Amino acid sequence: MEEIKNIINILARPYIMFPTMIAAFFFIFPPTDGMMKINRQLGIYKLWTKKGGIAIFSFMFLAFAFGLTDKNFRLIVTKPDNVPIVGLIFLVVFFLWLAMKQAYENDARLAEGKPPKEAEDAKENILVWPDLVYIEFIAILLASALLIFWAIMLKAPLEQPANPTVSPNPSKAPWYFLGLQEMLVYFDPWIAGVLFPTVIMLGFMAIPFIDNNRKGLGYYSYNQRKMAISIFMFFWLILWIFLIITGTFLRGPNWNFFGPFEYWDVHKLEALTNINLSEIIYMIWLNQRLPTNIFLREMWGILLLLGYFTLTPWILAKTLLKDVYKSLGPFRYSLFIVFMLLAASLPIKMFLRWGFNIKYIIAIPEFFLNI
Amino acid sequence: MGLDERHYNINTLNKLFAAAALILLLAVGLLVLNDYSRKWKAYQSDFQNMEIEKTRVKLDGEAKKLKNNAEYTQLQEDVKNLQKSVPPGCSKDDLALENKKAAKIDEQNEIIKQRYRVIKAQFDTAKFHYEELAAHGHDVKSAKELYETLNEKTQKLNLAVQQYDTQLAANKKVNDTCGQALKELERKERALNSKAAILVRKLKKIDPNEMNLTNRIAGLIRNAPILDLANPTQKVQQIVLKDIREDNNFLSMPRVDRCTTCHLGIDNPDYKDAAQPLRTHPNLELYISKDSAHPVEDFGCTVCHDGRGRATDFSGAAHTPSSPKQAKEWKQKYGWEELHHWDKPMLSKPYIEAGCFKCHSGQSEIKGAEKLSLGLNLIERAGCYACHNIDKYKDWPKPGPTLLYIASKTTPEWTYRWIMDPKSFRHNTWMPAYFNQSNNSDPDSKARSEQEVHSMVSYLFSESKDFKMTSMPTGIGPTPWEGDPKKGEEIVASVGCFGCHTMQQKAEKKTHDRFAIMREQGPNLIGFGNKTSKLWLYEWLKDPNRYHPTTRMPNLRLSDNEAADVAAFLSKGTIEGFDNIGIAPVNQKILDDIVFQFLKKSMSEQEATTKLTGMKPDEKLHFSGQKLIGQYGCYSCHDIKGFAGFKPIGAELNEQGNKTIDKLDFGFVHIEHSKQAWYNQKLADPRIFDTKKIKAPDEKLMMPNFNFTREETEAITTAILGFVKDKPGKIKPRTPENLAIEKGEQIVRQFNCQGCHNIEGQGGAIKDSVGEWLVKYQGKEKSEIPAILDSFNPPKLDGIGSKIQAQWLFDFIHQPEVIRPWLKMRMPTYKFNAAHLNALIKYFNVIDPSAEEFPFTEHVNIDLTSGELVAAQKMFSNEYFDCTKCHVVGEQLPSGSQDTWAPNLALAGKRLKPEWVIRWMKNPSAIVPGTKMPTFYDPSNYAESGPPDILNGDEDEQIRVLRNFVMSISTHPPTGPLGGEHVPTYQAAPAPNTPEPSPAETDFWGESTTAPQK
Repeated sequence: MEEIKNIINILARPYIMFPTMIAAFFFIFPPTDGMMKINRQLGIYKLWTKKGGIAIFSFMFLAFAFGLTDKNFRLIVTKPDNVPIVGLIFLVVFFLWLAMKQAYENDARLAEGKPPKEAEDAKENILVWPDLVYIEFIAILLASALLIFWAIMLKAPLEQPANPTVSPNPSKAPWYFLGLQEMLVYFDPWIAGVLFPTVIMLGFMAIPFIDNNRKGLGYYSYNQRKMAISIFMFFWLILWIFLIITGTFLRGPNWNFFGPFEYWDVHKLEALTNINLSEIIYMIWLNQRLPTNIFLREMWGILLLLGYFTLTPWILAKTLLKDVYKSLGPFRYSLFIVFMLLAASLPIKMFLRWGFNIKYIIAIPEFFLNI
Repeated sequence: MGLDERHYNINTLNKLFAAAALILLLAVGLLVLNDYSRKWKAYQSDFQNMEIEKTRVKLDGEAKKLKNNAEYTQLQEDVKNLQKSVPPGCSKDDLALENKKAAKIDEQNEIIKQRYRVIKAQFDTAKFHYEELAAHGHDVKSAKELYETLNEKTQKLNLAVQQYDTQLAANKKVNDTCGQALKELERKERALNSKAAILVRKLKKIDPNEMNLTNRIAGLIRNAPILDLANPTQKVQQIVLKDIREDNNFLSMPRVDRCTTCHLGIDNPDYKDAAQPLRTHPNLELYISKDSAHPVEDFGCTVCHDGRGRATDFSGAAHTPSSPKQAKEWKQKYGWEELHHWDKPMLSKPYIEAGCFKCHSGQSEIKGAEKLSLGLNLIERAGCYACHNIDKYKDWPKPGPTLLYIASKTTPEWTYRWIMDPKSFRHNTWMPAYFNQSNNSDPDSKARSEQEVHSMVSYLFSESKDFKMTSMPTGIGPTPWEGDPKKGEEIVASVGCFGCHTMQQKAEKKTHDRFAIMREQGPNLIGFGNKTSKLWLYEWLKDPNRYHPTTRMPNLRLSDNEAADVAAFLSKGTIEGFDNIGIAPVNQKILDDIVFQFLKKSMSEQEATTKLTGMKPDEKLHFSGQKLIGQYGCYSCHDIKGFAGFKPIGAELNEQGNKTIDKLDFGFVHIEHSKQAWYNQKLADPRIFDTKKIKAPDEKLMMPNFNFTREETEAITTAILGFVKDKPGKIKPRTPENLAIEKGEQIVRQFNCQGCHNIEGQGGAIKDSVGEWLVKYQGKEKSEIPAILDSFNPPKLDGIGSKIQAQWLFDFIHQPEVIRPWLKMRMPTYKFNAAHLNALIKYFNVIDPSAEEFPFTEHVNIDLTSGELVAAQKMFSNEYFDCTKCHVVGEQLPSGSQDTWAPNLALAGKRLKPEWVIRWMKNPSAIVPGTKMPTFYDPSNYAESGPPDILNGDEDEQIRVLRNFVMSISTHPPTGPLGGEHVPTYQAAPAPNTPEPSPAETDFWGESTTAPQK
């Protein structure tokens, strides 16, 4: 028992879990036809069937039940603040499965030449009263009852009078910001707190402009919207939900990582030995002092960054994303690729951190600019 | 709109709707239940039931009493009889007729009154009109007519009203007289059964069975959910205290204590045996009740008990269990959970007295808080305040002896063994142990400890200043250097050493309470043979201040002989085996390590190595000794050369009670996770929290071990938990009297006056040793001791404020003189300055309640006419009162037995307050019950009690004249018809020439005496 828990604790570490999930992701949500073929071969698409759904949920419930036997797990999971996030996990998986099931069913029908299921619904007139309003009303009743039961069982914690000299440890943001707080581990506050949220919002605004795929509109379909769905799922599931789950359950005092069955020891110390790129290049490779001139010092990072944002799009347009470039056109493509690169920079930076202990690629503390 | 257009089956939807509605109803029902079910409501209804029961029982008791009361039963009989009989003219019919008449008259009266009102209004208008016209010279005829008519009418109506009123009055009289007797009896009856009536009324209010129907129904719905917004019987009770505030970090809020919501019987003595939470508070005379010192309406609960006053449930109020066992009990019985998010949990029962300190911090002994007082006393005796800053003790002197001249006192070998393990020399020493503790007992640490002690000893001895010890004077006795130990033993037993010292070769199984601690002001007088020389002891006894200027040991004014004898006696004492305790040799390698570690802190490693190689062995010892004394903080308790003005080494304890538990380091020690458990553990073994930690030698915990017992650690923990930041609004009033008491108590505590004297009801610890001296040296039987002990004990000082003249007291404490020459015990000379002395005098004046009646200083005419002188001498002689039978007069000793001897009357003039002497002579037992002074004037028959042939038998005159005579006695015995031989008496050693007390620039507490008084 202890051994299994220890293994799970180790597997849950970000530098193991994250790459594993990214690697597995592209098999579950294949962005290209080639990956789709492998998906079919491995039978992964069966996840989105009824049987698959039952399997997924049984596994989740069993895992949860197993976890509940452990005291530390119970403590985190039954904390009134965290209970909604537990619900979030189950709900996200459920609705994802529901949508993907409908998408794959539609794909099967489309492959046979039949219209998608939504087309049948489109023929029918559904009245607002009583069909819509009545079921909404029942839904309200049930939702109210649920909230009342929940409120009775889990009381909101009333803690002691606020003390400006005592900070709680860990100091966690509300759940919808925990993704960003997790990003703060790898990025400078300006980037993780200002730049990324802005870019996320701009990205959302840009989606209607970039996405010119005329297929798969008005009905669920995976094949017809492979890239859009897989890109969005990647951002949403891996870069948002997963980080929220990590931030809620797996981050403890001093923002140290604690496995789900690990005791939150406030004295735990983990060495943080990350160094900047400039230090690596000058002090470790070239064995000399950092140059005093800021530009000189950070020029490698600047070059790297410039290359990343200028060379990579150009190379990708010529190779992997040739079709995309053709269909989007240069302007849309530029927008698209910039957002993609920005988003991809998050996992890339995380890998650099774990692999090479890199703290900042460009470090200019004099101007509070660290990337 | 046909059914086939519907997307969903309406019947299914209807069923779903029904189900959903029922679920919601259930949810709301649960919600209401959850919101309205509160444990305190159950307690309140329990309490109500208990009240009903108790009231019923009381009522039964009252009823029984009344039944047995003959007067009452008689009254009841009379009332019944009277009710039956009917006086003349008072039959039912007569009364009915009268009442009818009265009703008719009343009716008419009302009608007339109404008419009168109308007419009067008209009359007033007419008068106004008439005046107006007359004033403006118009024709007034008609107006005048109208005015006069109306005037007449008004008067007639008035008359009618008055007539009716008189008739009514007559009628009422009849009624009254008829029922007068009955009413009188009924009134008497009510007077007797008033108590029972109150109880009946109370029952009517609270007992559903006694209420009328409306009230009973109301009782049911008053407490129903939602309806209880109006006027419920079950409601939250709270006490709001505007002037006692709660510190919420951003603002301070008035305290709101809702404890009485459940603790309903807290102020009611009937509930002494009830189950909690209804039980009465203990000691209602001191707490809670209106006439106590802490009425609950002014103090609330949380100011003493802490906890979360605004809560209305058991766990939410932060109740703290007294032990893990009780915690389990509470979990079972009440579902108790520790409230984590509250920084000020309730004080558990063993530590409840901690709450007293925040208001009573100025006092030295807090009556009613024994544990706290013991804790504070231990802090004073052990000297905790020396290493840890505590505001209350901020000006107290260092508790340990000076080490500035240590080379003249003792040897390095003795010092080494002492520092290594103080208890190996003196089993009950207050010096704590630094070495062989739980974090430095492994072989490496032991080896290092040995070298550390060597270094420190070396430092102390090399820095020791010169102390000139003059040789003992020659020509005193046969062997001036020897001294006689036997004589010395007697002197030690008699002169007063045992008020502050004990002499206990082995540990004795006695309770170590505050009384026992009074005799530990100074060290246990054993083992001086191992420790120091006879000459040093001689020098010390002759003048302690020369060696240690701030010592609290006073000067016993021993003559050279006496001092030599005592020194000889004390230096005979040895500790067996102490000199055989091994001393490890100096180990250069370990010493080098120590020196190097210290050097590294202020210079680079290379420089340190260079310096180290350049140091000679002596230099190494000296250097590391100095650093180690700074590291261990020895200078906090002892004066050491080179460490003047260093800051105390321990953590400040001033707000220790406010510390949250997350700031206490439990380390790897698994004890109960509470503040009190931590403090108890820390005091029991201060180094224990280093267990299993990996620490360099200079990172280890340094606090030394005092070997406290569990009782002592709990007492000190109580005190520590009381050191809080809160400044409540109800501090003990800072009146001049209270401040004088505080200052006086401080001096009394510091100099251990209570070791000899009984002050404020405490003290006189020396009395056991006086009893032993009487048996051993005065040949008394053990059985006679209790009767005669008080004659040989130092006097009680509670009454001296009214008795002793202030100027004389000032001079006496500064330079004592002999009042009772037969006593071997002597008042020592303390090195007080004027500030001390004035504080003490004020103190004694304030603690004697009758001192208010006697002026601080007064001038009374004590002249005597020649006739009065003769009369006085007669009374003084053995013909009448025979004063010299018991009283010493000048150098003449009394004629009676030594047990009855009384103070020297030659001092009376300067010493006693004249008015007090009068009172004393009138009735001594009223002032000191049980005194040996006879009561010459019988208080029950005062006018006849004095000798009839002196001064015309006027008792007051006799006393006044005698007082004047006594007050004018000089050191020579009275001349005249009685004369007296000159008898050589005990020769006290001449007092040393103590200079005038210095009017210090700052008084004892560091306040400037030249600055204008606050």
